[in-house]
Amino acid sequence: MKEEKLEKLLSELANMTAEPVRPDLAEDIKQRIPHRLIQQRSGMDTINIIIDLRVSKLAAAAAIIITMVLWGSFLRGPDSIGVGLYQDGKMLVKYLLGAGTEESNVLAVKSRYEYLAQKGEDVTYYGDSIDPQDSNALLMQWKLSDGNYRVIFGDLREKTVSAEELIELQARMLLKKTK
Amino acid sequence: MNDFSEQTKDSLAARLKAGDRAAAAELVDIYYVQIYLFMRRLGHSHTASEDLTQESFFQAWQNISRLRSDRALNNWLYQIAVNVSRLHWRKHKGRKSFSIEGVDVPDNGKAEFDKVGHLEQLEKLKIGVANLPMKFKEAVVLHYLQHLSIAEAAEAIGVREGTFKSRLSRALKALRRQFIAEDR
Repeated sequence: MKEEKLEKLLSELANMTAEPVRPDLAEDIKQRIPHRLIQQRSGMDTINIIIDLRVSKLAAAAAIIITMVLWGSFLRGPDSIGVGLYQDGKMLVKYLLGAGTEESNVLAVKSRYEYLAQKGEDVTYYGDSIDPQDSNALLMQWKLSDGNYRVIFGDLREKTVSAEELIELQARMLLKKTK
Repeated sequence: MNDFSEQTKDSLAARLKAGDRAAAAELVDIYYVQIYLFMRRLGHSHTASEDLTQESFFQAWQNISRLRSDRALNNWLYQIAVNVSRLHWRKHKGRKSFSIEGVDVPDNGKAEFDKVGHLEQLEKLKIGVANLPMKFKEAVVLHYLQHLSIAEAAEAIGVREGTFKSRLSRALKALRRQFIAEDR
């Protein structure tokens, strides 16, 4: 097959593979736009660069920890390592040690809870009392402006439910707990 | 790729850099379908593609300072999306790649017989692209399916234009070889 024909077919393939996208996806993403658009943090950059270089996990861990400690000591002593670096460190440890997905999910939702609570949203977090292995457990809920509730499950699925449906979900959770 | 003029994109970039949340929402409206389809065309499942699209935008909010006003938004966002996808594959090594479902190709008045043959060719090509090694697949998807220019796609992948062109040419060679092998 000639190159031109192959290229033409590839262009047609673009139309052929343009499947429909869930319309709610855009809204879900917009909900995650931070209140203040965050500026890039140097720690995350370091992680990306090291991962991109395909250095072994152990070598990457050593390099990052040494860099963090050196910078911390260099700036204002070991206690001065910023919160951002600490958060990146936590993410890195999670990546390096391969922490369970369930625990990572709970952590991710908790940070979202903290963000929504800070914004003054009517939000409830159940992560401290549920079984992280239970993918159907209700992890968090918050009230939407239309009176419905947005809920997040253990496997990070998100759904908008009515007040009645929410009560049903909560009842199911209580029932599981009492068993 | 879309009807957005470069001038509008520049002003959107400037607003994003100034921390305008409305601009962030506009960015989502313009690009979420493209990024989702990009993930699907790279072989991620429906659910993973949705998650990775969300993750790409989340990373974008955190990397706004990397966005230069004089640089197309495409390059910046696709660069983030490529990294998000690569990280996902690395974390889920051995996970099978999914093929995107096809939709009907518009009938250009071709005879039914020709149309069937043509669709068969497209189907073969789709499988061929899905089976390419990831670095070749990224090149083909970015340039031919996402319609990024050579310069934009090379920047998104993080290689020089020459390297990208050679990758693309090797990918096309592999696809052609596959066609010849199947026609025998």
